[in-house]
Amino acid sequence: MRTYELVFVVDPRVTDEEVVELTGEYKQMLTGGGLTINREESWGRRKLAYPISKLTEGKYVVLYLSSENGTRTLADVEHRMNQNDKVLRYLSVRTDQDLKRAGKPLIPEPSAETSAPPTAEAVAAPAAREGDRPGREE
Amino acid sequence: MPPRTGGRGPGGRGAGKAGAKGAKGKKVFYRRRKVCKFCADKIDYVDYKDVKLLAGFIPERSKILPRRISGTCARHQRLLQQGIKRARHLALIPFATD
Repeated sequence: MRTYELVFVVDPRVTDEEVVELTGEYKQMLTGGGLTINREESWGRRKLAYPISKLTEGKYVVLYLSSENGTRTLADVEHRMNQNDKVLRYLSVRTDQDLKRAGKPLIPEPSAETSAPPTAEAVAAPAAREGDRPGREE
Repeated sequence: MPPRTGGRGPGGRGAGKAGAKGAKGKKVFYRRRKVCKFCADKIDYVDYKDVKLLAGFIPERSKILPRRISGTCARHQRLLQQGIKRARHLALIPFATD
């Protein structure tokens, strides 16, 4: 099994609802391509360490993925992100080899949101998820 | 542990020139033995999202702290380097500051 992490940074002027929508679109592409989403994190608005296209903040979304056999879909999603001006940065990393070497569990604990139906999550989640990740401040 | 003389082993360099020119002849240098933080804490996976961890290895200028100073072992420095570079790409950590 291969596991991946996909992080992307969205323009802060995009509303939270739109971010969830965008994430949903990517998620749909990913699941459609045979990938499983194990966990989703939204860090909300966060200060960038350096300005990107004159913006000093960004909204971070992290997806933890896994697939049984290799996938091409991830590349397609990256391509889509590349085309979208609202996505400032993205990074996808294959993690299974390193995690295995470190003796860590391959699949992270699923977050509460992922188990909730995606439509309900779209409205309720963004605010609730703010405090999701400790140590993200500063 | 006694101070190493002419040590060129891991972390041996750059930790101050030994007192060859010591005025009174005997100058004892104590060199704190550097230990790889990752080995000590048994961290074998450097997460690029863990800014708190990475921040300890990026001094003021935001350059990656060299091994000879931090004492990180080669394997962990490699992982650290990878982590820092990924974090930089995502603007979690600056490339440079001035």
